[in-house]
Amino acid sequence: MIGKNRRKRSWIAAAVLAAGSLVFTSLPAAHAEVGVTSTQIKLGTTLPLTGSASPGYNKLGDAMKAYFNYVNDNGGVYGRKITLVIKNDEYLPNLAVAKTNELILKDKVFALVGALGTANHQAVANAVGLGRRGIPDLFINTGFSGFANPKQYPTTFTVLPSYAMEAKIMAQFIKENYAGKKLGLIYQDDEFGSDALKGFAQAGIKFDVTVPYASGSQSQTTAPTWISKLSAGGAEVVVMFGVTSASGLALATAGALKYTPKWILGSVGGDATTLRALGVPPAVLTGQIGLSPVPSPADTTDEYVKLFQEVNAKYNNNVAFDNNVLAGMNTAMLTVQALRAAGKNPTRKSLIAAMKTKGSTFVSSALVPLNYSATSNVGFNGYWFGQYDSTGVMKPLATGVVAYTTDSGTGPVVKSTFKRPAMPAKGLPTNS
Amino acid sequence: MRKRLLFLFIFGWILLLIGDRVDELRVYQGATLAMYTIGLASIVLLTGYSGQVSLGNGALMAVGGYSAALTLSNFSVPVWVAFLVAIAAASIFGAILGYAAARLSGPYLAGTTLALAVGMPALANQFEFLGGEQGIIFDIGMPPARFGDEFTLYKWYFWIAALTALIALYFTSNVLYSRFGRTWRAVRGNALAAELAGVNAGRTKVLAFTVSSALAGLAGAVLAMTISLVSPSAFSLALSFSLVTGAVLAGISSLPGVMLGAVILVAIPEIADVVAHRLGDSENVTTYLPSLIVSVLLILSVIFTPNGPGENLRKHRKKHA
Repeated sequence: MIGKNRRKRSWIAAAVLAAGSLVFTSLPAAHAEVGVTSTQIKLGTTLPLTGSASPGYNKLGDAMKAYFNYVNDNGGVYGRKITLVIKNDEYLPNLAVAKTNELILKDKVFALVGALGTANHQAVANAVGLGRRGIPDLFINTGFSGFANPKQYPTTFTVLPSYAMEAKIMAQFIKENYAGKKLGLIYQDDEFGSDALKGFAQAGIKFDVTVPYASGSQSQTTAPTWISKLSAGGAEVVVMFGVTSASGLALATAGALKYTPKWILGSVGGDATTLRALGVPPAVLTGQIGLSPVPSPADTTDEYVKLFQEVNAKYNNNVAFDNNVLAGMNTAMLTVQALRAAGKNPTRKSLIAAMKTKGSTFVSSALVPLNYSATSNVGFNGYWFGQYDSTGVMKPLATGVVAYTTDSGTGPVVKSTFKRPAMPAKGLPTNS
Repeated sequence: MRKRLLFLFIFGWILLLIGDRVDELRVYQGATLAMYTIGLASIVLLTGYSGQVSLGNGALMAVGGYSAALTLSNFSVPVWVAFLVAIAAASIFGAILGYAAARLSGPYLAGTTLALAVGMPALANQFEFLGGEQGIIFDIGMPPARFGDEFTLYKWYFWIAALTALIALYFTSNVLYSRFGRTWRAVRGNALAAELAGVNAGRTKVLAFTVSSALAGLAGAVLAMTISLVSPSAFSLALSFSLVTGAVLAGISSLPGVMLGAVILVAIPEIADVVAHRLGDSENVTTYLPSLIVSVLLILSVIFTPNGPGENLRKHRKKHA
């Protein structure tokens, strides 16, 4: 009998504890927009800070923060300072979902900016229901063309051109420069890669050797199998369509095995500084082809690059200035303009509206235009091609900086006539 | 038995009231708490009552999670059907495993189940229909419209998870206080003596393994629901370890303790967050601190209170009663 009583007591104790633990916070005030106070705008992002895909991309968050701090020190956005909460998703979809939930529920951010990864972000958009809940999801670092569907992802805006666009533009470049050569392709075997395959098929390019790899499977043991397959197939021009850690392994292994095709590195996996840090010898990288929507991070004659380098020195511990730092700051600059365009008292609704109505007018370092509109969620729509020199800087080809633009569908690839607007004074946006 | 039912009913009612009064984050944590409760019940039943040590609960949860996700994505069925499929799949898997496991004990069994926890999730990368590293979406849809606009998806998760956990607890406690529970304890206490008394020790162990696996599978399906997808990394080794830690901390042979254990497991990342913030938000600290806390707690509790702090508390009270 005593035993029974004690058992009952412990049930009650456990129950009370479990219930009590749920109540230790009170309800938040319901007025004002989430994440916006009179002095602050809180934003959040999820990035791979550790894990297999982290090399290079782990610098994006700090770069964004650095530019925000620069803006904050110069008056912020209509007097409000921007804070950025960075969470590590390790490039794993389940963590991306968990961390985004945290950003929204715990950190109560106003909007998400610059999150990275196709599979991750698809999981996030679906699982967290960003669109349904009206949570702005700006400038995501993925070119998955599925995100271009505003019906399915009404609050998501990509910053990169779609992978289909990239593939179509690459195909055009291959046709112009490497007609008749044997072609090879390494791609990530998920939505990221299949999107590119669609683009290549659309452009009518056929690869003689294709090497798919599962996300996260890139390693010292798998890379040699890619290279031996390519070299056995006699590929003379190889397109690398994967994350930087994968292209680093591919290049380094090819170098070690004395396999020397012409490499065309996709924009996602083409950051020279990161490739060098991953052990790609300068001799292997020199002369290879890369493409980018933004200028080369080493081009100090570019006013944006110059400004971002100054911000990097002052606000980002002067880390090695590469494509990732440049891309992070570029995204941050776009974010500031989006926030300004959303009005003096921004709401999630007004931010989305601003992206649609004014997004295409935002200035940035990019050499191609932005395409935001009432019907388009896609940012940049093109690339310029360059060649890596012996110091890892992507230099324009003999023809100079020529940018190509296209769409994700059946549209043609055309030479861009876009003229980049001058940078606002001190790189501080004044739009409204 | 009727008292237990009444109690759980009242407890459910209280949860419902609380769910309406706290913010979304707590509601979401509540759903996670319910998931852990089921997972811990599975361990307590297996280890605490039938004396078999399993480090592979993550793998069994994966079986449940994946089978539920596959059911949900291929057939348009209500979520509870997916849960039932998870239970069925995991218990079949557990029964087969249990046959092998019944011949093993102690560290050998722990080793076998550990290998399972390491290897199982990686299988998803081998078969295309399992979705690879990005996994399969687990979409239960929006809450019914009649609950109104204020009724969030998180609350819907919480309702489903909490109800599932209450039913699972009711079921488990009934089983444990039944003939089966008694024979499990008899076998755990002294297998030879139990056999002399007419208990088939082997069959008893397999049955315990099966029931425990069913609970683990259910926990896996609830986990999949709360994170809206299944992927190999969702059922990591870290999950298996934190479940064992939670069970040990809660008192390995105490069913009511599982709720306490679940609270601890939900609280650990929160505490880690605060500590990491104090230590200057270094990425390595933030990433690894939760696992470190879990491991340290497990080691400390095994050294100082082998049966869990809960057990000690009870003994202490007994002495002073």
